[in-house]
Amino acid sequence: MLCVPTGGGSRLRLSLPFSSGFEKMIHSLFLINCSGDIFLEKHWKSVVSQSVCDYFFEAQEKAADVENVPPVISTPHHYLISIYRDKLFFVSVIQTEVPPLFVIEFLHRVADTFQDYFGECSEAAIKDNVVIVYELLEEMLDNGFPLATESNILKELIKPPTILRSVVNSITGSSNVGDTLPTGQLSNIPWRRAGVKYTNNEAYFDVVEEIDAIIDKSGSTVFAEIQGVIDACIKLSGMPDLSLSFMNPRLLDDVSFHPCIRFKRWESERVLSFIPPDGNFRLISYRVSSQNLVAIPVYVKHSISFKENSSCGRFDITIGPKQNMGKTIEGITVTVHMPKVVLNMNLTPTQGSYTFDPVTKVLTWDVGKITPQKLPSLKGLVNLQSGAPKPEENPSLNIQFKIQQLAISGLKVNRLDMYGEKYKPFKGVKYVTKAGKFQVRT
Amino acid sequence: MPYLGSEDVVKELKKALCNPHIQADRLRYRSVIQRVIRHMTQGVDMSGVFMEMVKASATVDIVQKKLVYLYMCTYAPLKPDLALLAINTLCKDCSDPNPMVRGLALRSMCSLRMPGVQEYIQQPILNGLRDKASYVRRVAVLGCAKMHNLHGDSEVDGALVNELYSLLRDQDPIVVVNCLRSLEEILKQEGGVVINKPIAHHLLNRMSKLDQWGQAEVLNFLLRYQPRSEEELFDILNLLDSFLKSSSPGVVMGATKLFLILAKKFPHVQTDVLMQVKGPLLAACSSESRELCFAALCHVRQILHSLPGHFSSHYKKFFCSYSEPHYIKLQKVEVLCELVNDENVQQVLEELRGYCTDVSADFAQAAILAIGGIARTYTDQCMQILTELLGLRQEHITTVVVQTFRDLAWLCPQCTEAVCQALPGCEENIQDSEGKQALIWLLGVHGKRIPNAPYVLEDFIENVKSETFPAVKMELLTAVLRLFLSRPAECQDMLGRLLHYCIEEEKDMAVRDRGLFYYRLLLAGISEAKQILCSPESDPSLRLLEDQAERPVNSWALDFNTLVPVYGKARWATIAKCQGVEHHGPELPNTAAFPTSGSLIPEENKERVQELPDSGALMLIPNHQLTAECFEKTWLSLKVAHQQVFPWQGAVHPDTLQMALQVVNIQTIAMSRAGTQPWKAYLSAQDDTGCLFLTELLLEPANLQMQISVKQSEARTETLKSFISVLETVIGTIGDIKS
Repeated sequence: MLCVPTGGGSRLRLSLPFSSGFEKMIHSLFLINCSGDIFLEKHWKSVVSQSVCDYFFEAQEKAADVENVPPVISTPHHYLISIYRDKLFFVSVIQTEVPPLFVIEFLHRVADTFQDYFGECSEAAIKDNVVIVYELLEEMLDNGFPLATESNILKELIKPPTILRSVVNSITGSSNVGDTLPTGQLSNIPWRRAGVKYTNNEAYFDVVEEIDAIIDKSGSTVFAEIQGVIDACIKLSGMPDLSLSFMNPRLLDDVSFHPCIRFKRWESERVLSFIPPDGNFRLISYRVSSQNLVAIPVYVKHSISFKENSSCGRFDITIGPKQNMGKTIEGITVTVHMPKVVLNMNLTPTQGSYTFDPVTKVLTWDVGKITPQKLPSLKGLVNLQSGAPKPEENPSLNIQFKIQQLAISGLKVNRLDMYGEKYKPFKGVKYVTKAGKFQVRT
Repeated sequence: MPYLGSEDVVKELKKALCNPHIQADRLRYRSVIQRVIRHMTQGVDMSGVFMEMVKASATVDIVQKKLVYLYMCTYAPLKPDLALLAINTLCKDCSDPNPMVRGLALRSMCSLRMPGVQEYIQQPILNGLRDKASYVRRVAVLGCAKMHNLHGDSEVDGALVNELYSLLRDQDPIVVVNCLRSLEEILKQEGGVVINKPIAHHLLNRMSKLDQWGQAEVLNFLLRYQPRSEEELFDILNLLDSFLKSSSPGVVMGATKLFLILAKKFPHVQTDVLMQVKGPLLAACSSESRELCFAALCHVRQILHSLPGHFSSHYKKFFCSYSEPHYIKLQKVEVLCELVNDENVQQVLEELRGYCTDVSADFAQAAILAIGGIARTYTDQCMQILTELLGLRQEHITTVVVQTFRDLAWLCPQCTEAVCQALPGCEENIQDSEGKQALIWLLGVHGKRIPNAPYVLEDFIENVKSETFPAVKMELLTAVLRLFLSRPAECQDMLGRLLHYCIEEEKDMAVRDRGLFYYRLLLAGISEAKQILCSPESDPSLRLLEDQAERPVNSWALDFNTLVPVYGKARWATIAKCQGVEHHGPELPNTAAFPTSGSLIPEENKERVQELPDSGALMLIPNHQLTAECFEKTWLSLKVAHQQVFPWQGAVHPDTLQMALQVVNIQTIAMSRAGTQPWKAYLSAQDDTGCLFLTELLLEPANLQMQISVKQSEARTETLKSFISVLETVIGTIGDIKS
């Protein structure tokens, strides 16, 4: 039983020096493209003039590169907290003290939702769907507070545009708005709808691991870490209660959980026990950072040199498999930011294709996959601006790759059991390893 | 926004909206409305079709309704008289059988933002609070706050507030959170929503049912609750445990802050919590989102203030990768600088060495400054790196290296020799004012150990006419005069030329005055000039101030998970003050306005101060002297005998304080410059029995208090008490003068 302080509770006024919390969370949102056009704005309280963005543009100018605009900017009357996603800035206007991580997370959630709805989070997609964008923003935030942000709840409120649906809509004149309310709140479990029914009952898990690493000149590892997630796609009828166990749960020492997971059970038995949300969701994310556990699947042999007092240099890199556990490494791309004095590059790849952008000085080599019999290499000459001093430092190589059917940490799902329902579901686990921020210094 | 032909567009759309054929065709009607909205979002003034849009709201098509509501909310403040017509439709929709329509209508009505709408929305809101659909209740609860704002924040409707408090028990978790949000806004004047024991425990039990946003906000509201007993406290902490492992960094940070605040009397619990969130914080530091990464790094730095070794074993996580944005790299360098220890110093320095040649000059300079900072503890390794960097002969590198040399020579006298050896040749690669000043200062003060110092300075004198920075000329004057005092034969001639130039030709008054002053000083005699110019060459005692002793967790717990760690406390205070958020914010240091001549302490106060030493059994001996090294050694070897906090407002005027303390025979060993935050001072005194009193004053203007810690060489409570009371009087008096 709650006891209600009467008369607004002024008797119990706080003397603690806390600022007044979350009052007026997000005032307004501006979407700005790379060339500095504000192409969408939304205000949840009073209208804030676009001129507030001038402070943002000022910071952008100062930062030289768009990537370097600081995420928190203060102006005389507001704070601007922004994120940079897919070449767009989401700039939120805040009026009082807020937890910065909260706002940043929320802005990312908005961007994620656009991505989810329109397939891409681009200026064109947002402009094409401007009406849905407004509907979404209206449901996601009221009076400046986050409301419905779960993708499956939102999709019941506002149907995403699909080509098929827009054709059907234009014929039948029906709308892309759900006519019924989301049922989420009718069930006892807030993250699961009641009365879910499927003809095929399926539960799929994707174990996705990304390797972040810095490899030094000599090929030894300066720093390496695995960031892993388990994403689930659950289409099960009724109220299934699942438990997922691993062959080697000790690997996971630093884990964050979806709210559905019973934390105590994990602590005592190292089993993930949960009633899943319906549809797609992220079950856990984890990190493996102990140096000796992180295998480095590729190596790069490189020789990049610039001669003193000459207008050319040599460039030669070769990629090969290292600890790849016998799997094929595919989807390899190498990106190199060459020094400013490089005018052009004249290279020959043994496989794949390369491009060099003389304006941004970015070299991109699309390699494809590695066949151990013939290692891919890229070599040739670099043309330098004549008369300029030779670059102090060799560039770093950023490498992207993908390995199917392998979780590089060695994590393996043991079994999935279901309780509470009678039917027998289809189950599946897929593994994939990718490069995260994978950098080789030369 | 200027938009060509916008009038034509409005006219055309108006015609289309009125066209009965279009109105009959649902699809065409809707597409016209969509065009109106599209133009509206592009900034075209569409208020001309308001009337037609109001008519369009009477439809069963829910998409069309949404669009029209959106339009009305935007233009209602411009057309209040017409908007009243729309209210009829909205009111009707508030009792529609479809809960979605009810919620939508209510939300739009509350967002109309026009005067006079209050009387129409009150009833629908009250009905909405009791609606059976939670979707409508959510909207209605927030509507209460909007209605309150429309009323102009004047009086609080007690009945409504009670209704909201009782809705905290609602089935729907979002209704609960919205109630808190709404109450917070309505009760702003009275300090916000009140969290008493039943509410606190109710919220704690509902926590697991909330979404991440709700959890983060509830955690913030719970900060206001103070458990009655230790048992209750630990029960709460147990309930909160699992939120430290949440997948949302916002929730993790919120939970951490609540832990830190609740456990403020249990330092071991605080340390334990910080251990537990180490993983999630590090994860956030390497998050895909660069912005999260940045915010997390700022918090890591804050934790390092209290637990210096906390992240040392993970130092490699803070190595910069090439593709990261600038602001993250700069934060990482700062963090690296703070977690250096004997084991990792080699690796960290190698890494930082790599950054020094980065393409971005700013980043390279930050890395050099970081090495300079580490050099205060690991001198030899750093000096070697810095000297090597000079060999690159890059302008932006050389200037920063020379500046770090200057700071090092001042703070760590043992570096001086190495600095002097490295300097020759630098002058060729320095162009900016800061770098030149640093170089000239070094040549002046340590010129006797640098063989070619006079020649370098002579070059500067040759080019003084084309020198653009007056500050450089001033520095040059002082340096040449200093060098003249130690190497007269080599410098006499050029000093003459420089003085001649400054007095006869220089246009800048300050430089000319300085020249004249030195000229007259020399006329007064060499020994006088020596007395004035040959000040100490280094001041290691400053390091004592710079070495931030481990600050207690409680000193920043309140700032955790706010914008303070992002900006730094001092800057935050300034920003917050400008924005009027923090009304009682600290006064900014006002160094210029204080009178520097005449009696600093009014007569009556002086007496009060002087009288006191006799009143106790304590007799502080005058002319007690203690060197900074001696003080540091004794200070570190003793335990704090007494700690106390005095109220204090505004900034400190070090000179005043020092003089006042002198009056009662307390010697000042070291103190921060005026305006530094936190401001610190170290004092020492000795009584007639030989007992030493060492004192630290710590002022954090934001807290409006001065913290004193006293250490005593012999444990005697009686004299300690008297000493404290003397100190109290002095500090009290100084405080009085200022306010």
